[in-house]
Amino acid sequence: MTSFTATGPRRERSSFKDIAHLKNLGVYFRRYALVLSISIIGMLVANIMSAIVPLLMKTGIDSLADPEIEPDIIMPAIAIAVIVIVRFFVFVVTRRIMRRVSIAVAYDLRKRMFNHIQYQGAAFFTRFSTGDLMSRTINDISMIRMVVSFGWVNIISFFFTVGTGIYFMATLSPSLTAWVVLPLPFVAVIGFMMARAMFPYYRDQQEAMAAVTEFTQENLNGIRTIQAMAQEEQEIKRFSAISTHYAQMVYRATRFNAWLGLVMPVLTSASPVIIIFYGGQLVLSGEITIGTFTAFFSYMMMVVWPVRMIGMSLSMFTAAAAGTQRIFEVLDFEQEIKDSPIADLPTRTAGHLAFRNLTFSHPGAARPTIDGVSVDIKAGETIAILGRIGAGKSTLLRAVVRLIDTPRDTVFIDGIDVCDYPVQELRRIATMIPQDPFLFSTTLRENLTYDDPGRDDAELWDAADAAGLASTVHEMTHGLDTIVGERGQTLSGGQKQRATLARGLVRNAPILLLDDCFSAVDTETEDRILSGLARLRNDKTTVLISHRVSTARHADRILVIDNGHIAESGTHDELIELGGYYADLAAVQSDQDEDRARKSRLLSNLDDSDVIEQAVEVTS
Amino acid sequence: MSHTDAVDIDKRNDKDNDKDNDQTNGAASKPSQGADSRDNYSAFDLELTHQALNFQLFARLLTWMRPYVVTLAVSVVLVIIAAAMMVLMPVITGRVIIDNILLPDSQGSTLPDYGLIAATEWLQNTLSIEALTAAGMLYVGLVLAQALFMFGHQLTLASCSLKALRDLRLDLFASLEHKPSSFYDHVAVGRVMTRVSNDIENLFALLTGFGMLAGEFVPFFLALFLMLHISSELTGIVLVALPVAGVATYIFRRMMSRIFRLIRDSVSALNQYMQEDLSGIDVVQLSSREAMNIEQYRERNQENRKQEFAAINYETIYDNFNNSLASLAIAGILWYGGGAVIQEEITLGAMVLFTQLVNMMITPIVALGQQFNTLFRSMASGERIFQALDWEEKLHEPDKPVTLPERLRGEVEFRNVHFGYYADDLILKDVSFTIAPGEKLAIVGPTGSGKSTIIRLLVRFYDFDDGMIFLDGYDVNQIASHDLRKRVGVVLQDFHIFSGTIRDNITLNDPAITNERAEWAARVVNADRFIRKLPNGYDTELGERGRSLSQGQRQLLAFARVLAGDPEILVLDEATASIDTTTELIIQDALHKLTEGRTSIIIAHRLQTIRECNRVLVLHHGLVREIGTHEELLEKKGIYYTLHELQFQDGAVAAEILGADESEQDAEAWQSPEEDEEESIRENFKQPLDNPLGGGTGS
Repeated sequence: MTSFTATGPRRERSSFKDIAHLKNLGVYFRRYALVLSISIIGMLVANIMSAIVPLLMKTGIDSLADPEIEPDIIMPAIAIAVIVIVRFFVFVVTRRIMRRVSIAVAYDLRKRMFNHIQYQGAAFFTRFSTGDLMSRTINDISMIRMVVSFGWVNIISFFFTVGTGIYFMATLSPSLTAWVVLPLPFVAVIGFMMARAMFPYYRDQQEAMAAVTEFTQENLNGIRTIQAMAQEEQEIKRFSAISTHYAQMVYRATRFNAWLGLVMPVLTSASPVIIIFYGGQLVLSGEITIGTFTAFFSYMMMVVWPVRMIGMSLSMFTAAAAGTQRIFEVLDFEQEIKDSPIADLPTRTAGHLAFRNLTFSHPGAARPTIDGVSVDIKAGETIAILGRIGAGKSTLLRAVVRLIDTPRDTVFIDGIDVCDYPVQELRRIATMIPQDPFLFSTTLRENLTYDDPGRDDAELWDAADAAGLASTVHEMTHGLDTIVGERGQTLSGGQKQRATLARGLVRNAPILLLDDCFSAVDTETEDRILSGLARLRNDKTTVLISHRVSTARHADRILVIDNGHIAESGTHDELIELGGYYADLAAVQSDQDEDRARKSRLLSNLDDSDVIEQAVEVTS
Repeated sequence: MSHTDAVDIDKRNDKDNDKDNDQTNGAASKPSQGADSRDNYSAFDLELTHQALNFQLFARLLTWMRPYVVTLAVSVVLVIIAAAMMVLMPVITGRVIIDNILLPDSQGSTLPDYGLIAATEWLQNTLSIEALTAAGMLYVGLVLAQALFMFGHQLTLASCSLKALRDLRLDLFASLEHKPSSFYDHVAVGRVMTRVSNDIENLFALLTGFGMLAGEFVPFFLALFLMLHISSELTGIVLVALPVAGVATYIFRRMMSRIFRLIRDSVSALNQYMQEDLSGIDVVQLSSREAMNIEQYRERNQENRKQEFAAINYETIYDNFNNSLASLAIAGILWYGGGAVIQEEITLGAMVLFTQLVNMMITPIVALGQQFNTLFRSMASGERIFQALDWEEKLHEPDKPVTLPERLRGEVEFRNVHFGYYADDLILKDVSFTIAPGEKLAIVGPTGSGKSTIIRLLVRFYDFDDGMIFLDGYDVNQIASHDLRKRVGVVLQDFHIFSGTIRDNITLNDPAITNERAEWAARVVNADRFIRKLPNGYDTELGERGRSLSQGQRQLLAFARVLAGDPEILVLDEATASIDTTTELIIQDALHKLTEGRTSIIIAHRLQTIRECNRVLVLHHGLVREIGTHEELLEKKGIYYTLHELQFQDGAVAAEILGADESEQDAEAWQSPEEDEEESIRENFKQPLDNPLGGGTGS
């Protein structure tokens, strides 16, 4: 029931080219070399024991078949029982070792993945999406685990079983053995080919299922829209096509499996038929005994299974090799932001923030997002940044806390390059509140104390009050201990924003960077928040991005960013005087001014700007 | 796991609703409409786990099999034949070859051979070949035939169960499509969705599992029959192994079901933690929480490892146990059966035959153990599916719907409409108003005043029977809801953008809407401009919920969608979230074009929008308090005046007048870009999500 969906890129069938990637796992084989050797020896012992059983049966049967020989059944029966019991313990110990190793390897790989991911920067997360990383950690590690626990065991046991089986057969009758093993290579090759041919069927089935799930999910999420537009019948028709397609894909996969079930027994029946024809002949001519005849049936069964499975095991190997590659692609990714801290940092940060000719391009972007920005923000100043979507506002703030790979000698705090601070220290000094109001699915308290669980309630309430959240929290039955749900889904958009704001404010950092944190908050609450900010941060540096003139006008200075440049800069009154973008915005937002000219000026500007900006989800 | 969370929330809401309800108890009662008790809905979200087998459920499932019953019957016959052949194969080696050909002494034994000896002799004589060759050919024939029958069985079984489940899935989906809004107000979409996907899959696992069990148990009984036929005493030896295997399987399954659950929980805790950490990685890094999260992840990882270790301890023992048991049974057969051979009670071939049948006895028990969990899980799935199918909650449809004229004029009248989602909680009270054809009416009022309810009733998302609503004089209750919704175009506040192309999103895959019409609609509402800039224009694929578009672009797309349908009446619930000013201007312009010459009802949150309308209706506590033009209402100095002033003057005054039921969203609804110099504004927050019907987004 707990199906976890992790969507990664479409997987291709693995090939032998990938096998080399398995060497990445060598460290584990070395780490567990001793126990693994023990288990390999155990496997060999168990295999030999298994091979002795038919011999004992042969002794008994021969004694029964030949009136000349004294019946000898009790000792073989007891010997079989003893062997079986001993083999049971050997098996349990060896299997347990191997499976424990596989679990330990999976554990360690997961740990390495998680740890590695924590310290990555923007380039990493651009390359690997959340779904991709999840898919790698879940699917690829489980693939590797399969191979560690079953795959190589199958291959080793293939050699052991086939080897001991053939050896014991050959001691009984070399010529019959030669004939019996003749069809086995064909079985192995065809088994391997079919195991590989199965992949696309299986994948198609998975994809068809994903289509059913996605369609249903979307449909139900948009059910009101569909009903309002009276499109139910249309949707049922589309769903019919999708679920019929799914049924077809499952049928195709089943049919392929059924073919496998048809071909394999037919192929493998060649060996028993040879035993019947040729072996029977040998019995009649007295060259072998009936006991040998029946023992060959047992050995044949013993040998055929691993031969039938070898194809499966090999394709498991290639899949695990491809999985290893995908895991190590992540693990080998160089950490983008490295600490290069200088030795003597000032003990107290004043909060002077300076950009010196900062230019930054996102990887693959045609033009720089920020293009030569230089600003000096004095300690204790409050700065508002305005500008269209995609103008580079957020990137500016992210450069301060190095959420992007900030170039050296471009951003300074108290005259020290941000690249010279240890990253954690930097982010303590400069607290940024991102635009997306992300909350963790825990209590409000844990969210507010996310960076430092030791904070006391007085601090929390102070921050909550300044963020305009206090009264909301008071109304909640569980107050600060209210569970906010995944991504804070039990809260409204405005409440989420205020909670993230409180989370930032509580840190009381010398520099606070707010990325459009009031967009879902109504104007009245915004005013409360602004006064709260003024109270908490009157001597500290605050930079805030906003779309609203009402927010910006309280700032000491306002910057208008356009196309990565600073287009306008000054106080509210100065910018109104200037009559540029800010003044237009102020006029339109005041709603009193019906000046059509200003509206159309803003509208036509919008045409030039990049309209395909990534949307920002304000509400859930 | 996230689903579980959603359920918890729903439950909490239910509780809160009940509480609210108690306070307002004694209000006018409303006749029930379908299943309207809130408890029923929480029943829908209950986790159903079955500890008992419910054969009625299974019988009901088989009704979907009915159209394919012939295929199913063929499949059953095929598996029986295949099983019989499987049992006959060792008879050939044991009885025919060993007893009859290799050890001619035992010829003439009365032990059964099922005519195989005769068949061999017949083959031998007809083709004049050696006995051994004939037996070999018979063996080959059996192998081939058995494989073919098994092949046929698998295909027929897959075919009929896949088709039956496809039909069941379709029926389920169709019933979900027609469930009224009230249903979706209460149940978590995730819970409904898993019924369509996972639960049906579980049923497929059940059916194939049954097929598999049949493939194991038919040979089991045939082999048992054969063994008893040969020697009941020797069969007794084999049968001793069965209860041992059975008890071992039972104990193992009991232990494992607990451990498997712990493993599943630990895996989902692990994955969930990582997923959340990745989704909020910015926050993690900005809070310098990396080390602490690594530690927390390590704890979950360790917990998972612990459970996995526990599982393999049992698994390795159990896996080897059955194997060993079979070998022990063989030793027993050698000991006891050998004695019987010496006593000449049975032949040597019969004893060898017994050793070959032992596996057929043990594997079905193991398979049954494997299928056990599937069986219980499927029972619960079946229950959930049928619960959704049986959920009797339908929108009333007129028996003889009226035929509407080709084109309506667009007159809308509400006459004394009373309505509440729950019988004792009226949302609309005696609402009456008329809109002339082509008129634009703005509806304003605080959250919970019933604004959204008005439009929901107009398009009959809910049944109402107290009062009437007319379209051009036609009672909407007499119009088929499908027809009605074609005439009344609605842009919901939480309109949905689907994944698929831009074009699909405008036409909603309705073949009646041509490409030209879709593009025309997009042009009219200013969407054409941004669409053309997208890499593939109208054929650009959008992500889920259209997340590659900005909020403003999505809004324009929703406008285009409703315009393409060319409804006579337009109903719009304006989005409350603020967007940047320039985008807002484009949307205002689009709205202007959209409503031009069309009867429009707009739930307005922006002054700009209100000014576009001819008249304003003020709704408060479900009552129509004021209606008139913007200027008239300002003149009147009533509620509208107060609401309007709220933006410029002291909000506390307005808040007092409006009473205590404003929520954050009404304030949002009245957000004005104009700044407010006053700092102390009384806040009256309520959690908007407490009441999913409170007129908020409800999503």
